[in-house]
Amino acid sequence: MTGIFEASRNEFHRIFTVKPVFSVLIIGVAIYALYYPQPYLNEALRSVPIAVVDRDGTQASRDFARRVDATSDVAILEVLPDLASAEREVHARRVDGILVIPEYFERELLHGRPSPVALYADASYFLIYQRVAGAVSAVAQTFGAEVEAARLVAIGVDPAIAVAASAPMPLTTVPLFNPEGGYATYILPAAFVLLLQQILLMGVGLLSSMPEADRGLASRERRSPLATILGKLLAYLALQAVVLPLYLVVLPYLYGLPRLGSLLPLLIFAIPFVLSVAGLGFVVAGVFCRPIRVQLILASAGLPLFMVAGFSWPREAIPPAIKLLSHAVPSSAAIDGFVKLSQLGAPLSAASSEFLTLWGLAVFYNLVALGLAMRDAVPIGNAAQASPAT
Amino acid sequence: MLSRRTIRLGFWLVFWREVGWLRRRPFLLGLTTIVPLAQMVFLVAIFSAGLATRLPIAVLDLDGSDLSHTIIRMVNATPDTAVAVRVGDLAEGRGMILSEKVHGLLMLPQNLQRDVFAGRRPEVVFFYNTQTMTTGNLTVRGVNAAVPAAAAGIQLSLRSEQGEPLEIAKADLQPIPVQTHALFNPALNYVYFLLTALIPAVLQVVMVTTGAYSVGLDVETPHRLRILRVLGGGLWPAMAGKILPYLVLFMLVLGISDTVLITGFGLPLRGHSWLLIIAGLLFVLSCLLLGALLAVFLKSTASGVSIGALLAAPAFGFMGIGFPRLGMNTFAYDWGALLPGTWYLIARVDQTVRGTPVDLSWKPLVVLLIFTVGLGGMLAWRLDSARSAAQRTGGPIASPGPGEAYV
Repeated sequence: MTGIFEASRNEFHRIFTVKPVFSVLIIGVAIYALYYPQPYLNEALRSVPIAVVDRDGTQASRDFARRVDATSDVAILEVLPDLASAEREVHARRVDGILVIPEYFERELLHGRPSPVALYADASYFLIYQRVAGAVSAVAQTFGAEVEAARLVAIGVDPAIAVAASAPMPLTTVPLFNPEGGYATYILPAAFVLLLQQILLMGVGLLSSMPEADRGLASRERRSPLATILGKLLAYLALQAVVLPLYLVVLPYLYGLPRLGSLLPLLIFAIPFVLSVAGLGFVVAGVFCRPIRVQLILASAGLPLFMVAGFSWPREAIPPAIKLLSHAVPSSAAIDGFVKLSQLGAPLSAASSEFLTLWGLAVFYNLVALGLAMRDAVPIGNAAQASPAT
Repeated sequence: MLSRRTIRLGFWLVFWREVGWLRRRPFLLGLTTIVPLAQMVFLVAIFSAGLATRLPIAVLDLDGSDLSHTIIRMVNATPDTAVAVRVGDLAEGRGMILSEKVHGLLMLPQNLQRDVFAGRRPEVVFFYNTQTMTTGNLTVRGVNAAVPAAAAGIQLSLRSEQGEPLEIAKADLQPIPVQTHALFNPALNYVYFLLTALIPAVLQVVMVTTGAYSVGLDVETPHRLRILRVLGGGLWPAMAGKILPYLVLFMLVLGISDTVLITGFGLPLRGHSWLLIIAGLLFVLSCLLLGALLAVFLKSTASGVSIGALLAAPAFGFMGIGFPRLGMNTFAYDWGALLPGTWYLIARVDQTVRGTPVDLSWKPLVVLLIFTVGLGGMLAWRLDSARSAAQRTGGPIASPGPGEAYV
């Protein structure tokens, strides 16, 4: 038991004294907390620039364009004479959409015939496309409903009935958990979990692949590999007891992201997460042996791991075999679980399968790490026994 | 004066030394080939099944009428949504959403049918999970298509009951229809949008860190840099010979991934392939030079790789694919402009899906060229000043050795 605590104290000491480890586990945590969220902090696209080609040039067409310009989502940057010149502006990336109001727009409306408008929106960036298309169709809908209601009133229908006739069964859509549809709210809670994993993985990988200072060597030889591993895990749990709430509670609060969960389920769920990531870190260090290799291998793994977590790309669309394979890395289950607990405010029972997966990974990787440590410990033990004799 | 032949000879000496290195260091070779190719295969596999269809939603039907059955059938029939469960009350539906078994809950209120035909405008409510935005938007698209279609059917029957001709009734439903055209990616294919950008982003991380690693190995031991220069017969041929093997390898990886995307996934190439290739060359070069510069400045492989990873690993967010750069704050926008990947992805989008005319395509290429020249120049300056500093301090390092007359 004392061996465990000694190992734990020793590892904790190394976290703060071994320079590359300190840079990753302490400075890295601070830098990423500030740096990573920057692109998303504005939450939503506002005033996406579009061009208008107004072939009608009437009161109604100008009114329609003005209503589109008045939305917060798009802004009319240019009024152009034809589609060809507008297309060129899109290619030059000065505008991201073209609204074409055809000739006789007003006349058709007055005649009570459908009076279509055409929208060409840049779909090479999906968020831009959604913004532009959403804004223009919303304006068309309200503008159209007003026109129709006015027409019904004009032929003598009671105004209340006129409104009911144009929308007999309104649909209300209620977005949950991210009411503004904000991009930071969507991406950051998941990305923070991945960052926590990558930072801890790198830190543990470095710690385990770097030679320990001579100071602790004598006592290390007396410690069993099991005590060493348990001690190290204890040190990582202690560190993450501070870092993890910082990333999953304090940062969302500081960046103004809505979250519903309470702290206790998060902390309980965090235990197998930290243990499994640390175990994987031991194994990575055992396989690649040298700190520089550990760094090089882990550096590029983040993005594919994020993609397979089923966040940017729906999990229903990921082939089952790939999904299964991805569960070998803690982040897949952890992102799901942490997002449920902290963003949706779900009880721990709603994340039970993720919780069990992480425990399974924690046991598996730490057993493998133990096996690797015992294999490595044998010659050292022999040497230690042999040395007093000689 | 150096003869052209000496330079050429020196260049090839350094080049073959580097190739020999790669052959003797399987880890380095694996890092430049197997690692990015494996990442690529993994990403392609993630996207291989195409877009998610029939996402599960729950229904709470408090009416149980013909109309509510029709609505459920229509929601179930859209390509986006599938009615996976019927729940008995709101609490049960909430539980299903919290455990992420369904992405949304459609609630049909009591007396829906009666109230609709009495003109009381009852509301149909759809709760959906927008924490996962892609799926949330897909389910709401399905419901948004199905419920108004059901409502339109009622409107039509109400109006024709009142004696309005069907044609006019139809026109009244939607006085201003919007004909929306998705420019450049009409099917809204995620492969052309996301996968094609992810591969260069992953490659950027690999290239910057590998550049730092490979050059760092030379920087850490002082005599190796001298050997490189002596072998190369000068600074520039030595640098070129050192970089070229990696340039070739990474161009091959990029070429393989583009071949897979174009032939396997039908990624359009509406622009010019030669512009795409030039952009690719400049992108690979600037990433490698950035890594090399980090190693030379920090004088340590470990720090070079660490800082390179710190810069490149989270870069995807700054390159403006998922969340476009026009919505970013000033810091993120300017920082993104300093990443080679940002400009390569602009050039890539231009030449693949957009088919941008040549006269509007030059900007990202010029920026990449400036990066390449600037980083190369800084690297040469740094190496040169390090050498003259070493010469000033004297010592055995500066003593002229055989062949140093060329330097």
